[in-house]
Amino acid sequence: MSTADSGTSGSTAGVSVEIDDVQSGALRPRPVPYAGEYVFLRVDDRHAGRAVLRRLLPLTSGGLPRGGPSQDAWVAVAFTHQGLKALGVPQESLDSFPRAFREGMAARAELIGDVGESAPAHWEAPFGTGDVHIALSALSSDTGLLGRALDRVRAAYEGTPGVRMIWQQEVRQLPTGRTTFGFRDGISHPNIEGVGLPGSNPQETPIKAGEFILGYPDETGHLPPAPSPDVLGRNGTYVAVRKARTDVAAWRRYLRANTSSAEEEALLAAKMVGRWPSGAPLALSPDHDDPELAADPQRVNNFLYREHDDRGLRCPAGAHIRRTNPRDATIIGDARMHRLIRRGTTYGPPLPEGVLEDDGADRGLIGAFIGAHLERQFEFIKAEWVNDGNFIGYPGEKDPVAGHHDGTGSVTIPEKPVRRRLRNLPSFVVIRGGEYCFLPGLRALRWLAELED
Amino acid sequence: MTATGATQSAHPEHPGRTDGVANEFTVFTTIKQGEADALREDLATLADAANDENVHAALRQIGTLHDARHVIFDNDTRFMFASVFDGSWDTYIDDFAKTVVGARFDKVFSHSEGFPGVSDPGAKEWFLAHQAPAGVFVSAYPELTVQQIYKDQRVDEAFQEVLDTAEFRAALENPANAELVATPAFRKLLEEASA
Repeated sequence: MSTADSGTSGSTAGVSVEIDDVQSGALRPRPVPYAGEYVFLRVDDRHAGRAVLRRLLPLTSGGLPRGGPSQDAWVAVAFTHQGLKALGVPQESLDSFPRAFREGMAARAELIGDVGESAPAHWEAPFGTGDVHIALSALSSDTGLLGRALDRVRAAYEGTPGVRMIWQQEVRQLPTGRTTFGFRDGISHPNIEGVGLPGSNPQETPIKAGEFILGYPDETGHLPPAPSPDVLGRNGTYVAVRKARTDVAAWRRYLRANTSSAEEEALLAAKMVGRWPSGAPLALSPDHDDPELAADPQRVNNFLYREHDDRGLRCPAGAHIRRTNPRDATIIGDARMHRLIRRGTTYGPPLPEGVLEDDGADRGLIGAFIGAHLERQFEFIKAEWVNDGNFIGYPGEKDPVAGHHDGTGSVTIPEKPVRRRLRNLPSFVVIRGGEYCFLPGLRALRWLAELED
Repeated sequence: MTATGATQSAHPEHPGRTDGVANEFTVFTTIKQGEADALREDLATLADAANDENVHAALRQIGTLHDARHVIFDNDTRFMFASVFDGSWDTYIDDFAKTVVGARFDKVFSHSEGFPGVSDPGAKEWFLAHQAPAGVFVSAYPELTVQQIYKDQRVDEAFQEVLDTAEFRAALENPANAELVATPAFRKLLEEASA
C-alpha cells in the first residue's frame, strides 16, 4: 500500500518516467480477478479538505506493483476542476488547465454523444452537478486487502466536518470473469515508452510517455499542456470516469432476433465486439472461439489489421474493439494520437444465462479512461470513433456496442459476396453519469494537501 | 481578425458555419513584410500541375477536406485560406501535423505574421484567432462526406462496368432471374441503368 520505493524508473530511448511519483491508479493494468470501490467526496471547507488529503497521502502509492498485481491494493486520489477550486487552488492555476477539464464532462455531453437517455439531465446524482470534488478509487485482487484499504480510506474522511461522502459504487469481477454482456475485457494495454511495463501487443511501437503522463514529450514532440505551477502537473494525468448501465436483455434479444441458431448468435455478437467471449480476437480466430489462444498472454492481443484484414472480413472495421483501438488499420488520421488506457470494472449482478427479459437490476460498467489529453484522446474517440464511422468509410455508423443508437442505427459487417447490414439498432448502453478528473502525481498530491490560507 | 457581423455558432471553439456534415473554415492573415513573392512561389509549387499526383495524394490522406483555396489579396499584404471539411477542421490537426500535409501547411503559413508552426501547441488558438466565420454557407450535398463521395464514385464505376457486360444483359433476360429483377430494390437499380 505505501509507496513502493524500489527506485524503478523505467527507461528506453533516453526517456525516463518518474514512475514512483505516478499514482498507481494511472498506469497499472486492472488485476484479475478484481474487486474495488469508487467513492466521491464533496469539500465544503478547503481546510478540512486538505486535512483529509493529508490523511489520504500515506494510503496512496506510486510505481509498479511489487510481486505482481495480486499482492496489492491501490488507492487513487483524483480531483474534478470544481474539486481543485474547493480545495483553494489559486485561480491562476485553475485557469491553466485545458478547456475540457475546466468545463467538465457534463458540459461536453453533446460533443461526446451523451444525448437522449444518456444526457446529463438524466444522470444519476451527483454526476454532473458540480458536487463531485474528490474521486477516490480502490482496487485489488484480494478482498481482504481491499477491505483493509477501504477501512483506512473511510477513516481518512469520516467524521470530518466540511467534507462529505456523497456517492459510492462497489465494483467486482463477475463469477464468469467477463463483462455483463459476457465478454472478457481488460485485455489490451498500450505499450508506453519509458515506464517499464510491457504493453499487451508485442507488435505495438511504444507510445511516447507524454500521451499518458504530464511532463514528458508526447507523440507531437511537445510536452502535453500542463497546469501551473509545474509541481501540480508533473507526473499527473486525466481520467474520464463513466458509469454506464448495460441493457443485457436488449443485447440478447437483438442477437436472437437477428440470427437463426446459437452458432450464428455467437458469431454475430463476436462481429459486433471484435472478440469472442473468451477474449480470442476475430483477427486471429475469425470463425470460432479459441479459449486456448485467449488464455495465452503472448497471443491474445498480438495482432494488427492491415496485412490480413484491412477490409474487415474477419473483424469488421466497425467492431467495438477495432473502432476504439484501430491499431494499423486504414483510417483517417493517425491512431497513435488517440490511444487510451482503459480500465473497465463491472457493477451489479449478472443477468442469468439465457434470460431475455430485463429484471430491472442495475448492472454495467464503471469505466476509467486515462490519458494526458482529454480532448485528443477520450473526446476524440467518443466523437469520431464511437459515435461516427466516417473514419473507417462508413459515415454515420456507430459502435454497435457502445454507440448511442436511437433505434435507427445501422452497422455494416463485411462478408463475401455481400456485406451484412444490421438495421434498427437500439442502444445497449446508457450513460448514468461521468466526471473528468485530474489524477496528480504524488508530489502534486502533497502540494495540494499543504496549500496555505 | 474578428467576425464581421456574422452570427457565430454556439461553440466558441468552432465558430465556423455548418451545413449537414460540412463545415466551412476560412482564415485571414497578414503576410509578412516582403514575403508575398515567396508565398506566391510556395503556392505555385503546391499547385504545380506536374506534381498533381502528390497534391491529390495529400488531399486523399486528409480524407475530410472537400476543397481549399489560398488567395493573396489587398495588394500583396493579406492572405486567405478558405476550405470545407467534414466535421471540424481541427479534428485531425494533430494527426497531420507531422505528415506531408502538415509540412505544406507549415510552409504556406510561415509567411503569415505570428504563425507559431502547425505542430505548436498554440496552433489551434492561432487559427481560431484568425478565423472569420461565413455569413452564409451552403452545400449542394450536405449529407455527403468526402469518404462517401469516394465510395459512391467507386460503386458507380463498378456498376457502369457491369452494365457494359453482355452477361449482365443476358442475366436480366434469363427467366430464372425474373423474381430478382421484379423486386422494387432491383427496379431502382435498373432505373439508374436505363439512362
